[in-house]
Amino acid sequence: MARTEHDEPRRPARRGRGRIAATVSFIGELLITVGLLLALFVVYSLWWTNVLADREASRQGHHVRDNWANGGPGALNTKDGIGFLHVPAMKNGEVLVKKGTDTGTLNEGVAGFYTSPVKSAMPWDKKGNVTLAAHRDGHGAKFHNIDKLKDGDAVVFETRDVWYVYKVYAELRETSKYNVEVIDQVPKESGKKQPGRYLTLTTCTPVYTSDYRYVVWAQLERTQKVDAKRTPPAELR
Amino acid sequence: MYGWIWRHLPGNAWVRALISLVLVLAIVYVLFQYVFPWAEPLLPFNDVTVDNGMAGTAR
Repeated sequence: MARTEHDEPRRPARRGRGRIAATVSFIGELLITVGLLLALFVVYSLWWTNVLADREASRQGHHVRDNWANGGPGALNTKDGIGFLHVPAMKNGEVLVKKGTDTGTLNEGVAGFYTSPVKSAMPWDKKGNVTLAAHRDGHGAKFHNIDKLKDGDAVVFETRDVWYVYKVYAELRETSKYNVEVIDQVPKESGKKQPGRYLTLTTCTPVYTSDYRYVVWAQLERTQKVDAKRTPPAELR
Repeated sequence: MYGWIWRHLPGNAWVRALISLVLVLAIVYVLFQYVFPWAEPLLPFNDVTVDNGMAGTAR
């Protein structure tokens, strides 16, 4: 179209439209950026933290096994880890068990035994409840498949000298995080009234969030001495 | 925003693409190494203990 005097007044309007378009596209780019950030955070939480934690856990696990092989402090060494948890139903191999349930410890891809609010017993104690926590997702996700555990499933705790074979007898699929009674030395909520040798697993539920806690109780069925070849007990074969 | 950055990068399209890639990788690195580890404990996705809501406190 030929230039006429009509172009003159139109120009400010066009510039105004350009400014609106620029603002809209800026907001659009901002939204895309936020979306990418959230996607990256999911990748970080569900994949990268697992990579880091598995690497760290396997390094520390080897360290503990080396110590055992070389006659190090072994079973009573609570700093490096007291043993390994094997839960065939969770299909996650062995989980190193260390002292404490603070974020830093659990993020190493290990299971931690409680030191507070209720102190955990040790598997070799005559009576008591061994209480453990581990991540459901990310950071090794060691208890991801906790919902696969049913009554009668084996939970094996390996220390330097003994295999402790526990059997699951109760699950609490959803409870409040304030329900600290579940890790009592005699966990009444599982139906037990007498002191015994129990083991309690706790993690968060539902998956990918931590609105509630998932609890599984097991009790000691038998123990087996570790032989020279560290032959696993029948439950793990 | 992205258009503005692209226009202000030096060099031809290839050089700009390379610089953009390096920038993206640097941002991802900073996020994974510093920002996400800092943000994660503040978000309610990964508290696994029963503890009267004291999770995450240094003990």
